[in-house]
Amino acid sequence: MPTKFNIERPPISDDEINKNKNFDQLLKQFKNQSIAKAREDRTWWKNKKIVYRTIIAGAIITCTVTYLALFNNSKNNTTVNDKLTTNVLKPAPIEKFIQAPSTALKQSTAKYTVNSNKDQVITHNNSQIKIPKNTFVNKQGEEIVGDVTIEYQEYHDAADIIVSGIPMQYDSAGTKKDFESAGMFKINGTQNSEQIYIRAGKTIDVEMASQNAENKFNQYYLDTIAKKWNYIKKDEAQNIPQQKTAFANANKKVTPTIESNPKLTTLRNQIDVLIPKKIDSVKTVYTKKIELLPKYKEPNKPSRATGRPNFVLDGNYNEFPELKAFDKLLFEVGDENKNYNKDFHEITWSDLKVKEGPQKGKNYLLELTYRNRKEKLIVYPVLEGADLEKAEKTYSKSLGDYNSLLTKRNEQEEKLKAEMLAKQTAYITQQKMLEEKYKKEKDLILAQMQQSQANQLQSQFKTMDNQTKATRLFTISNFGIYNSDCPHARPNDNSVRPIFVHNSNPLNPNDIYVVDHSRKVVYRLDRSAERVISYNANSIYSICIFQKNKIYLSNKESFAATISENGNKFNVTPISESADNIVDLKKALEL
Amino acid sequence: MTINSHYHHTDAQLNDELVIIEAAKLNPEKFAPLYNKYYKQIFNYLYQRMDCKETAFDVTGQVFLKALTNLTNYQFKGVPFASWLYRIAHNEMMQLFRNLKDKRAVNADISDLKFICEEQSEPFFEEYLPALKQIISELDEEDLQLVEMRYFEKRPFKEIAEILNTTEGNAKVKMHRIIEKLKVKIKKIKL
Repeated sequence: MPTKFNIERPPISDDEINKNKNFDQLLKQFKNQSIAKAREDRTWWKNKKIVYRTIIAGAIITCTVTYLALFNNSKNNTTVNDKLTTNVLKPAPIEKFIQAPSTALKQSTAKYTVNSNKDQVITHNNSQIKIPKNTFVNKQGEEIVGDVTIEYQEYHDAADIIVSGIPMQYDSAGTKKDFESAGMFKINGTQNSEQIYIRAGKTIDVEMASQNAENKFNQYYLDTIAKKWNYIKKDEAQNIPQQKTAFANANKKVTPTIESNPKLTTLRNQIDVLIPKKIDSVKTVYTKKIELLPKYKEPNKPSRATGRPNFVLDGNYNEFPELKAFDKLLFEVGDENKNYNKDFHEITWSDLKVKEGPQKGKNYLLELTYRNRKEKLIVYPVLEGADLEKAEKTYSKSLGDYNSLLTKRNEQEEKLKAEMLAKQTAYITQQKMLEEKYKKEKDLILAQMQQSQANQLQSQFKTMDNQTKATRLFTISNFGIYNSDCPHARPNDNSVRPIFVHNSNPLNPNDIYVVDHSRKVVYRLDRSAERVISYNANSIYSICIFQKNKIYLSNKESFAATISENGNKFNVTPISESADNIVDLKKALEL
Repeated sequence: MTINSHYHHTDAQLNDELVIIEAAKLNPEKFAPLYNKYYKQIFNYLYQRMDCKETAFDVTGQVFLKALTNLTNYQFKGVPFASWLYRIAHNEMMQLFRNLKDKRAVNADISDLKFICEEQSEPFFEEYLPALKQIISELDEEDLQLVEMRYFEKRPFKEIAEILNTTEGNAKVKMHRIIEKLKVKIKKIKL
């Protein structure tokens, strides 16, 4: 199998790498591995001391058991009784503090992605969550950078509260009271599925939409460790000018982060990185190809002698190929040589050198040396008479050859340039097409995400009363469950031990919820205590019970009818139980 | 070529790292800073040589598990802890390829290949790519490692030497020989 060679593979983002980083799991694996290794380790068998001690201990145990079996039968009976007693007294499993009565009836939690390094406002139906920048830290207390997910859910009526399983009892100085709620919410934050926290000294403002504009409520925080509601402060309802619809707000919500979509990332990489690199590469390749084309030098035109003093130089002109074409060259002394005098021709110079002159190819520097004397002259190569004619003929031919080669070279260069342009244009066209594709994909993904969020909002909207009458401002410094509530003492003037019947069949419910419509209170009957419903004869009630996977209801009329007859047998009717049917539950409860 | 220098440690950093290592030998939970510090480096090292992202993540996990398991055998040799992790990573990866009867992958950017050509004073054309890929793929594992670390990962020779458990001079000599071999082959490429 050949080695796979990838070129320009997109790198893995730091986020994705961090997502796979899990030290706790590594530690767990390490511990499991150590345990497994220890179990497999049989070297202790080789330890003679342990072997002898084990044999002796085994012998003692065998003797003791035999003795007891033969001579002490009565004690055996006691052991059996002890076992029975132990089983009876086994404590009941501790119930979960927040326990939803039904696993099927779930409320969807809205999830919002926000950039933790910017001030952000999340609009959830008619509520707003205002998050200042740099609010979050991880469990090590280090600042969170980048996108985080905020989970948010609201509970506004009895159905929401029943389904949530959140206990609504408040211990007010030793007296148990039931909460009337003006709205409750649960808020949590994560990054890459890991819990995040609100930094000490920072707060988040939650402006929760409330269906109750009264000012009798307090704010509470649910302490799930101490299993109790903690009073925060007196709550003040802030009236809102008019009800806004969830759909109007849907457009103002935090724009979902779609840039991280893998399809879009690949396209972006192609547009911004790969294609520009290809365009650049084409340019480099063709520039090099053009550079590699043969280079031709224009032949030098022979110059006619002007009659100025000149030198005849013997030697080869290997260093100056442009002069090689000419025979019997004369080097005329230029007028610019102020140091020249006629005596120069009388001297037998011991050395002379010809170098490149100030005008390359046109003039030369003649260096004359005699003992310590050195003279430099700028000279011009010229010809005269028949030599000139011959040179002019040669020049004319060379010029013709040069011109035809140059034309051919220029044609090749133009061809290469045209090829380069064509390739670059093709890449640019491809880039444009990909840009359009990117836009379309982005719009499509955005539309899908918005649709999905709109559906989510619509579903939440269905579960919420339209009549938002006020907002309630919570300033929170911890994630968790917050409530705007008013505690009420449970009525004690009337009570009934209920029996629930459906089609003449008695039911044995797991959970019983009493909804007091007059005081807008819902409470669950304690499972461990005797189930007694306390009620006020002037109030309106309904009862919701959960048995296995079914929900049954004794509605307002049915409850009132039973009570008016001083009865305790409540005829209940089932309502269908499925994930969507919180709406049906609301309808059945007449909320 | 810009050489990455994230690997370099001062004496103080090496000492700090050694303190963590000694603590982690007694209590595995103290291994967390080393895990967090080197996770990305080791993953990138593996992913550079592998084709599958998920497998690279799995092997990265295995490398750290192996490091933690054998930490008591680790002896400080005056070089960053990373060099030991890189050697474990290389062994784990090669073992995986042997088990799967698979071949490793090579990942490079055009600019890296261009640089290799330019260093041999040869022009680079995109048309060279298939031939260059072929030449590099044909290198034996030891030579490929060197080319990869030097040209694709842009590591300094000091770091390469520490990872390959050799001397800096030796790494340079080997690299020179590989370059000579490459030079001959690259010169033969025709457009």
